[in-house]
Amino acid sequence: MSKFIKEFTKGLWKDLPPFRLVLGLCPTLAVTKTADNGLGMGLAVIFVLTLSNFMVSLVRTSIPAKVRIACFIVIAASLVVAVELLMQAYAYPLYTQLGIFVPLIVVNCIILGRAEAFASKNPIHLAVADGLGMGIGFTLSLTFLGALRELLGSGTLFGAQITAEWFKPFGFMVEAPGAFVGLGLVLGGMNYFTNWQRRKQGKAAIDGPTHDCKTCGMCQGLGGK
Amino acid sequence: MREILKMVCILSLICGLSGLTLSFLKEVTTERIEEQKLVFVQGPALAQVFDKADNDPVKDRKKFTLPSGEDVVVFPAMEQGKLTGVAIETFGRGYGGDLGIMVGLDLVNDKLAGIGTTTLKETPGIGSKVAKHGFTAQFKGHALDGLALTSTGGDIEAVSGASVSSGAAMEAIGKALTIYESLKDQFATTWPSS
Repeated sequence: MSKFIKEFTKGLWKDLPPFRLVLGLCPTLAVTKTADNGLGMGLAVIFVLTLSNFMVSLVRTSIPAKVRIACFIVIAASLVVAVELLMQAYAYPLYTQLGIFVPLIVVNCIILGRAEAFASKNPIHLAVADGLGMGIGFTLSLTFLGALRELLGSGTLFGAQITAEWFKPFGFMVEAPGAFVGLGLVLGGMNYFTNWQRRKQGKAAIDGPTHDCKTCGMCQGLGGK
Repeated sequence: MREILKMVCILSLICGLSGLTLSFLKEVTTERIEEQKLVFVQGPALAQVFDKADNDPVKDRKKFTLPSGEDVVVFPAMEQGKLTGVAIETFGRGYGGDLGIMVGLDLVNDKLAGIGTTTLKETPGIGSKVAKHGFTAQFKGHALDGLALTSTGGDIEAVSGASVSSGAAMEAIGKALTIYESLKDQFATTWPSS
């Protein structure tokens, strides 16, 4: 049980997909114009990621190693088409807002990355915990970035006007460059917070890039550490 | 050899199962998706074409069969229970795929009521301007003849730099007019004045 919780919570902060692993940046940058869109995209990813982890883990022993990637992609693609159909049927306006980024979940590196690095090597309950945790982490990140950009860029939050009259929105923040600036600010803020925490615990602050192959998994088979 | 067979079998099995699940899901959702599209795609286009109608054209729509055997959906516009116009959605071949146009016809004056776009995949900023007021406004209240681009002798100004997209819009309108001519006599009996 403790392992289940550990696998679940790692996606929420320690291995937070877009901000810690810096994976899945394409939707992170592209759909976070509003908090609503970020949340919708995140929910779609939770659905696909959890189910794909579940299915990959389920068939992990029967898939021949040579065709495993093809199998993972087929599973992910089918789930994405399912999401697309359901979204069209029950949340059409959201579907038109997210547009091309829904089908693009197939090639989102979080899905394949978790399937390859985690779900194909772990039992079902851990794989589901990992998928749920990562998915929720991704959703929170996208909603947060979306809220930040929406607040600064259009002065609203989830579509509701909340800023005072005198506030002139920075239209720049809801444009593409604003996505990069927003992401950079969040990444910087998180690094600053981590170092502040480490200093308080008496550890040395992390200076410069760290390369942690453990979260990647792609090079584990090549003898990477 | 055995390994290859196993790979082929398992991959085919997974693909087959996926296909089966998806076709089932498609079957289940088709009807609802159609409905959602009508509300969110055709609805706004209809509102743009008939700004005075007091009924719900999507709800009152009827299916007609053309002499050629094709089915076509016609959306009626009513004012105080009287049929004043109909709208037909048609498609023209645009630059980025099919361009869907909702063509509104004014039955009272036998003129065009206006057009609105439903499906638009034209190049953003160039071809996509066919959905903008500058282009669509030319059709509001236009007579049914002389509908052609200025380059072919009509009086409709094409969107500059987007002759394919403009042509697609004209193609769609032309089709709608043909449909209108062949169904014209049936409208009054289908939606009688109340």
